Amino acid sequence: MRERDSSGLGATPPTATSRRRILIGLGAAGGALTGGLVTGKAAAAEIESVTNAPISDKTQERQPFYGVRQSGIVTPRPAAGMVASFDVLAKTPADLVRLFQTLTERIAFLTQGGEPPSLDPKLPPSDNGILGPMVTPDNLTITASVGASLFDERFGLKDHKPKRLVQMMSFPNDALEVSLCHGDLSLQFSSNTPDTNIHALRDIVKKLPDLLLLRWKQEGSVPVMAATPGKPPESARNFLGFRDGSANPSPADADLMERIVWVQPDGDEPGWATHGSYQAVRIIRNFVERWDRTPLQEQQAIIGRHKATGAPMQGGSEHDVPDYASDPEGKTTPLDAHIRLANPRTHGSQANLILRRPFNYSNGVTKSGHLDQGLLFIAYQSDLEKGFITVQKRLAGEPLEEYIKPIGGGFFFTLPGAADERDFLGRSLLEAAGIAQPAN
Amino acid sequence: MTLRLPLMALALASALGSLAGTARAAVAPMDLVGPMSEYKLYVSEKLQTLVADTRAFTDAVKAGDIEKAKALFAPARMSYEAIEPVAELFSDLDVSIDSRADDYEHGEQDPAFPGFHRIEYGLWAQNSAAGLGPVADKLMADVDELGKRIAELTFPPEKVVGGAAALMEEVAATKISGEEDRYSHTDLWDFQGNFDGSRKIFELFRPLVEKDDPAFVEKVEANFATLDKTLSKYKMGDGFETYEKLTDADRKILAGAVNTLAEDLSQLRGKLGLN
Repeated sequence: MRERDSSGLGATPPTATSRRRILIGLGAAGGALTGGLVTGKAAAAEIESVTNAPISDKTQERQPFYGVRQSGIVTPRPAAGMVASFDVLAKTPADLVRLFQTLTERIAFLTQGGEPPSLDPKLPPSDNGILGPMVTPDNLTITASVGASLFDERFGLKDHKPKRLVQMMSFPNDALEVSLCHGDLSLQFSSNTPDTNIHALRDIVKKLPDLLLLRWKQEGSVPVMAATPGKPPESARNFLGFRDGSANPSPADADLMERIVWVQPDGDEPGWATHGSYQAVRIIRNFVERWDRTPLQEQQAIIGRHKATGAPMQGGSEHDVPDYASDPEGKTTPLDAHIRLANPRTHGSQANLILRRPFNYSNGVTKSGHLDQGLLFIAYQSDLEKGFITVQKRLAGEPLEEYIKPIGGGFFFTLPGAADERDFLGRSLLEAAGIAQPAN
Repeated sequence: MTLRLPLMALALASALGSLAGTARAAVAPMDLVGPMSEYKLYVSEKLQTLVADTRAFTDAVKAGDIEKAKALFAPARMSYEAIEPVAELFSDLDVSIDSRADDYEHGEQDPAFPGFHRIEYGLWAQNSAAGLGPVADKLMADVDELGKRIAELTFPPEKVVGGAAALMEEVAATKISGEEDRYSHTDLWDFQGNFDGSRKIFELFRPLVEKDDPAFVEKVEANFATLDKTLSKYKMGDGFETYEKLTDADRKILAGAVNTLAEDLSQLRGKLGLN
């Protein structure tokens, strides 16, 4: 409610008097009555503005940074995510150390929050200010992974490449755009809001212009839900309208995580890679207009689950295991349904489990006037061959291919964690290569 | 020449005087006089060359001598690219001399698309000088006008100092990908002009920063050296190879150095106590 502007000079901001009126709910005519009602609280009354910042009670949520393993893998996935891929411009081993040390410092600060340094106003500010004068953690994790290209002749890392790390190959249904693929370094950002991720990305880009050059990035989100007390949690839905992540291996099962996510010291991977993981990123376009014109029955047959509940075709709930043993001809769940091809639930297929942590993306409009939307697929596994590559090969020819088109992404190796303030991401690799000195 | 100096110094001192109350300057205003007048001389020289080169270029276009016009296009632009921050003080002239097809709704077909790049489109994409007479005349008139206006201008010191970073920002954001000279692919010539122009400004003000921050100066100089070294691999005769010859690896080296210079040179005004 504004003061009526009799001067005709345009709306003026609410004065203390009109704020009091808003608080008490009186119109302009009530002016005479409010004279005696001055209180200290009136001046602090809510000012109505369409541009007031939306309120969140989660900005102080915080994930640990230091640890044997990086966060952002078994960490519960929040609503906003991003993968940014970079070329590493370092020219010397010393540059490479500086890159990882600086990256570690920035990630430690951004994920814990705090006050950025205040500089002379004649200088550009040290922080981009998107989150205000205090950086709030907002549940942010930043996970750093390295691509096969980093292990080329530049830094002498060739002999230390994780055994199964290769540049992402093209699968039969792919239409990969080079400008959206690969990279020396990937950073996965996830937090409660896109702005927290963007703030962090801009901070890192500004601090490392001589060592990192952006190649591609894709942001994404997942739909939030109201809490359902007494009911098990549900997987968030993707842009096909289906729950995405049913049957995702559970971080509560520590043994399972050790087997399928984390590289172990007793395998054939280089020692430095222990406590790391393989990261498969895929930018997968969804042809949503066509999907939305597909009968529900057919959608469910293509995916292999009930759309509303996420239950397997035999019924039950999202968390029930599909029963293929009593359905050998695929009369209940078609043999080429997405979930059945991805995991046929034989004894052998237990070796091919992957931990998925995806986001949905929505970019622009194609030249044909269709929506450019899809899935920012992210999966972690201790063995890239047995994990994503095997699963993706099984999906070749699936009916879902009519509706999806992978156009980008890459394979990376997620570094072990930084144990404490004296450690830094990538240290174990650089030590193994003789580039960094062991900390004493 | 000698008369101009005291007049400029007076104008400069009075322009700076208004800043005296706002914050303490890291350098004395009079210390800026020398570099500023040197820069003004640099700009006058570049303008003289620009006017002469543009005349030769536009004459060739009007004569229908396509080969000659093509040979004169990129060298003429180098002088403009070196002084771009000053030219951009006259945004109307910058638009009519140097805008790109993207800036016009109908792109290359837009009758309003002017200047160097309109002629570039005719010469390279259409291999023809037909209809370019009026465009060439307008370009010449605009370059002459630019010369006149710059001669009369008192350069604001913060614009000059800021110009070093501004040149790098332009290359970093809009040129490194080869979008500027998209028909002729003569972008490497433009880069040399931009790098020279930025480095000139830095060299003039360097003594004022060096005593307090030698590490900063060393880092900036090293990055300028990287730009020169990388670009010089593509030297051909008096000029450069086509942008298409720039390898991915070298493009990334240039991008890294340009982005870092943009970052570091953005500190320069602050270090000199300018707004």
